[in-house]
Amino acid sequence: MGIIPIKLAGLKRSGLAAAGMARDGFTDMAMRIGAIGLTGLLASVAACGGGGTTSATDAPATATLSAAAAVGEKIFHDPSLSASGLQSCASCHDAAHGHSPANALAAQLGGPNGELQGMRKAPAIRYLAANTPFFFAADGTPTGGFFWDGRARTFAEQATEPFVNPFEMANADKAAVVAKVAAAPYAAEFKALYGAGVFGDVESAYLRISLAVQQYEREDTEFNSYSSKYDAFLRGTATLAEQELRGLALYNAPGKGNCAACHPSARGADGALPLFTDFSYDNLGVPRNPELVRNADPASFDLGLCQRADLTARSDLCGAFKVPSLRNVAVREAFFHNGRFKSLKDVLTFYVQRDTNPEKWYPIAGDGKVQKFDDLPERHRANVNTTEGPYNRRPGEAPALSDAEIDDVIAFLKTLNDGYAP
Amino acid sequence: MHRACVLAAALACAAPPTLAQSTTETELSRRLDQLASELAKVKAELATLQQQRFAAPPVATAPAAATTAASTTAAASTTAAQGPGLAAEPTTVLTSYGEINYNRSTRDSKNTVADVRRFVLGYQHRFDEKTKVVTELEVEHAVSSSSDPGEVEVEQAFIERQLTRQWSARAGLFLIPAGLLNENHEPTAYYGVERNFVETAIIPSTWREGGIQFVGNFENGLTAQFGLTTGFDLNKWDATSTEGRESPLGAIHQELALAKAGDLSAFGALNWRGVPGLLLGGSLFTGGATHGQSSEKSRITLWDLHARYTPGRWDFAGVYSRGTISNTAAFNTPLVGSATLIPKSFDGWYGQAAYKVWSNEDYSLSPFVRWEQFNTARSFADLGAGLTPAGARTERVITLGANFNIGSGIVLKADLQRFRENGYANRFDLGLGWSF
Repeated sequence: MGIIPIKLAGLKRSGLAAAGMARDGFTDMAMRIGAIGLTGLLASVAACGGGGTTSATDAPATATLSAAAAVGEKIFHDPSLSASGLQSCASCHDAAHGHSPANALAAQLGGPNGELQGMRKAPAIRYLAANTPFFFAADGTPTGGFFWDGRARTFAEQATEPFVNPFEMANADKAAVVAKVAAAPYAAEFKALYGAGVFGDVESAYLRISLAVQQYEREDTEFNSYSSKYDAFLRGTATLAEQELRGLALYNAPGKGNCAACHPSARGADGALPLFTDFSYDNLGVPRNPELVRNADPASFDLGLCQRADLTARSDLCGAFKVPSLRNVAVREAFFHNGRFKSLKDVLTFYVQRDTNPEKWYPIAGDGKVQKFDDLPERHRANVNTTEGPYNRRPGEAPALSDAEIDDVIAFLKTLNDGYAP
Repeated sequence: MHRACVLAAALACAAPPTLAQSTTETELSRRLDQLASELAKVKAELATLQQQRFAAPPVATAPAAATTAASTTAAASTTAAQGPGLAAEPTTVLTSYGEINYNRSTRDSKNTVADVRRFVLGYQHRFDEKTKVVTELEVEHAVSSSSDPGEVEVEQAFIERQLTRQWSARAGLFLIPAGLLNENHEPTAYYGVERNFVETAIIPSTWREGGIQFVGNFENGLTAQFGLTTGFDLNKWDATSTEGRESPLGAIHQELALAKAGDLSAFGALNWRGVPGLLLGGSLFTGGATHGQSSEKSRITLWDLHARYTPGRWDFAGVYSRGTISNTAAFNTPLVGSATLIPKSFDGWYGQAAYKVWSNEDYSLSPFVRWEQFNTARSFADLGAGLTPAGARTERVITLGANFNIGSGIVLKADLQRFRENGYANRFDLGLGWSF
């Protein structure tokens, strides 16, 4: 490093001498400052790029929660806040299963006696810190929102619904919930935070209950730990096994799995670790699930986005549901909005064989024809995505992934589970 | 005789074409006398112009140090007229160039596009005889908004200070001296409607970086440029888009728009114009491209060799350029299987010949032919069996066309382009350009 300043100064002196130009004091000083500055800059080029990453997602986990998040954590795990006294948020959003249900039921049981089946599979609620309220992107793509149909704008808004959903925690009304919180062991903590008179007004107390839960979901590192093997691989502290790397290649390849098209696997341009969802919606034509009680009525259809009160006019969106994050997908027990499949192997086989072997997935009518996309009324079946890989093939064509390749992709998906320890 | 032709070209005099055919000594000396008198006439006109502009006593004309490509472009004629050492009033000069292009695919006429490709407005303001600022603002594709295809960008914004008679310094956002096109990219400066692929896909013209640069012009015809600037950002590589396959460096350039500057780049360029009509040169640009954003580091290097020779009515040009990116295996591994991985190397070259077949006072017609070969993904680092992409096929483009110059700042162009690999890109182009 000491060589550089000498050489540079030497160059300058000889250059000026060659020009034969008289140097005044100011030019001289400017030259020296320039040489020093240049030296410093050149030194930085030579020792370019500091060590370590600086992305916010790689920052060390916060050990302590704020007061609101601490109360929110207690609310989240408190079963007394349900009509049956048995169900808390954590009952359906189990930390050991990526904050998705701990069983393989198509929809969780709730209600005042814990026997009513819900409408849809409870989604995993990790890695949603970057999720925005629902909106239509510049090119018209529906994006963002919480729940399978994006109807809640924030974590807090989502938290307001299960408390009073008659099929879930089944409280009679908001006042009942507020009364239960007021009687809970952490009520004093709640009052210390939001004021002694907070329980006097039901609406504002209920709002604060949902905000506390939101703070917990945002702050607790368990929801955003980025502690999977794949995260370590992206950080350069782990290597993927051969099968996992093969699976990643099949996952990314547009002509094979093409999973990255909706579940991106690459770091963002700003270095952000991938969330494995683009927060958009897709219509996959998932087969009807007879396990759902509501499906006993052949006229009952879950239409997803267009079932929202504000989107009833958008019949092109009927059948579209949220693209979930694939982080921790391998610890989930049931998949898709209707919990139709119970294993990743079935899910991936469905993706690649939906169109090459529809008879495997859909019922066959009396006339021998396959009732493809039977979980949608006929007039909406044209909405199903049949143009994007891997579900853009035809009967008789080879599926985009072979059985062995599916196993490779599953091996890769397992690297997305949080809590990797080498 | 040959030397006389070359001299004529250097002094930009309209030497009659028959000069090339004369062989006797008396004819030679007659021509030399003619040239001398024409030169004297030009000098007198120059003195008059300067007198009119500055209302100062006429000065001896500055030696005809040919304005090198190292000095800034469009308004170079105005600034050169003042010459160094002349006590000139500060001047603000407006510069502009524009291109309006029409491209018609020969195989698929529904892919026919007409576009205001570029509209550039700039100014140069001279603070004093040694200091000036040069700026350029560009609008691409006519209409720029969130729902329109256009873009507005600051293409150049730098100050230049003459330090000594030979050396000057620049600081700010300036063009990198690479190839033949990057610093002289106005539509009147190149043949063909579209800029050639080697100097757009390999050398990402119009390529500008922010930093400092020193420019030295020597009497032996050598121009040296070197400096320290921002560089590329490999973290921007999008493996799901085709941008990186069209131009690897074009996909990751930063254009000093909130550019990451954790890693700096250094460049150097040498251009020699010792023999009138001949330019030989080369450049080298290298720097880190990861800016500490990942645990891996990568260095991007781009170098080129170029030559241009303009004997008489001929105009020959050639460029070879090659770029390399280091440590791409580490960056490609998480992207494995994706459509566009980071190439380890990319390169291209072209040879071009133009001939001014006809000219008079106002117009000139120069047909040309250009043969170029380039590969934007020559090789990839090994990622393992079955995972390493194969190098791309080298594209070859033959362009045949003509530039029709009107006056000294307007050009009409037409050409046909034929692609070896991507036949659907074959097209017929028309273009209108101006520059002042």
